Amino acid sequence: MLDSNPASFGLISRGSRSQAQAERLAALLAQCALGNHAAFADLYRATAPKLFGVALRILRREDWAEEVLQECYVNVWNHAAHYAVAKSAPLTWMTSIVRNHCLDWLRRPQREAAGEEYDVALENWRDENPGPMERLLASSEAAALARCLGELEGRQRQSIMLAFFHGLSHSELAAHLKQPLGTVKTWVRHGLARLKRCLAGAQA
Amino acid sequence: MASYRNPQLRDKLAAEYVLGTLRGRARARFQSLLKYDTDLRRLVADWQARLTPMAAAAGDIEPPARLWRKIAARIRTTASEGGWSTSLAFWRSLAAASMTAVFALVIYLGAAPEAEPPIATLAVMFDKQARPAMLVSWPPREAAGERPIRVRILQEHPSMPANTSWELWMLPGGKAAPLSLGLVGLEPAQVIKLEPQFAAMIDQAWGVALTLEPKGGSPTGAPTGPVIFEGQWIK
Repeated sequence: MLDSNPASFGLISRGSRSQAQAERLAALLAQCALGNHAAFADLYRATAPKLFGVALRILRREDWAEEVLQECYVNVWNHAAHYAVAKSAPLTWMTSIVRNHCLDWLRRPQREAAGEEYDVALENWRDENPGPMERLLASSEAAALARCLGELEGRQRQSIMLAFFHGLSHSELAAHLKQPLGTVKTWVRHGLARLKRCLAGAQA
Repeated sequence: MASYRNPQLRDKLAAEYVLGTLRGRARARFQSLLKYDTDLRRLVADWQARLTPMAAAAGDIEPPARLWRKIAARIRTTASEGGWSTSLAFWRSLAAASMTAVFALVIYLGAAPEAEPPIATLAVMFDKQARPAMLVSWPPREAAGERPIRVRILQEHPSMPANTSWELWMLPGGKAAPLSLGLVGLEPAQVIKLEPQFAAMIDQAWGVALTLEPKGGSPTGAPTGPVIFEGQWIK
């Protein structure tokens, strides 16, 4: 039954716990589409800490994270009927909604306010225990990605994670890492290509 | 405007779009291509599946209780609580505003070869973004023999959540309750038998609506789920 479609990673995954969780979320989303408020409350309980964690990591301000999460959960409720389990895993769908909203938020003029706290937050993260890579390796949904990220060169991994969590463009990455633009573009491009190959191999 | 035919370039752009490094005009151009390029959308979905799990590196953080209270309060005021009539009022205003799109589609249909007589009654059903999603038509009363309802799905990738069904309802005039015409599947072209008891009424009905119901259809005989598509008759 394994096909080569990575969009099915979420459901055909390396842990029955992860698969059971995905099926449960998909069922809750279907109930939300039917207007079931209790199912929506269950969905929130099951996903809010993860999504709040993501929003807080990207936005670095609690009030912004709360506003974004509010918008996103209301969107999930209103568009639950448009969620298609064949197209993406439930948590991927919801996380993408939150992340895209956060990145759009950061690109508004208000971003100037996050200027310095931004650099400091980045350094602190590496010193946290557990650090980002440990958390990834411990997560059933992200285990394969964690292993593949681990196989990248440090600079490729760092560029990709910075771009993912801070919405940095190539030029912003270059400025932050104090490297030429062309070098950073290559790190990102090669890093992504290696991730793709590694993830395809992991599923085979 | 470049349409990016090179497969490697397309995949690279899809990856950078998802990652967030694609910005400015290039991002805007890519986003507008996504509207019509289903293959590109698939590439984006594949990269979202690959990269989004990275979010787990952020760690879980319990949000404050007030966040749920705010969300719950906003959900309570949406149409599903307001009932059938508030939902319909929204759709009627939407249908009125979309008549230009309706005429364009009628002209298109007039050019398409169809076996049945051209003067069919037709409803164009729109989704919540006012995009044409479904066509429903049947021959007029004068037509000989049976009057099957023809349904044509216009959406490229129609889908319904697990354990649900689409149910089609006729909307009679005034305050009369909607009447079920039956379930609609995902095939692009379908035929539904028009029940004799509805045949007389359907010519007086002002439109049709499609709701999302539990699998097998509404258990109560009345719509229980949200309206997905809705349309008025054009005669």
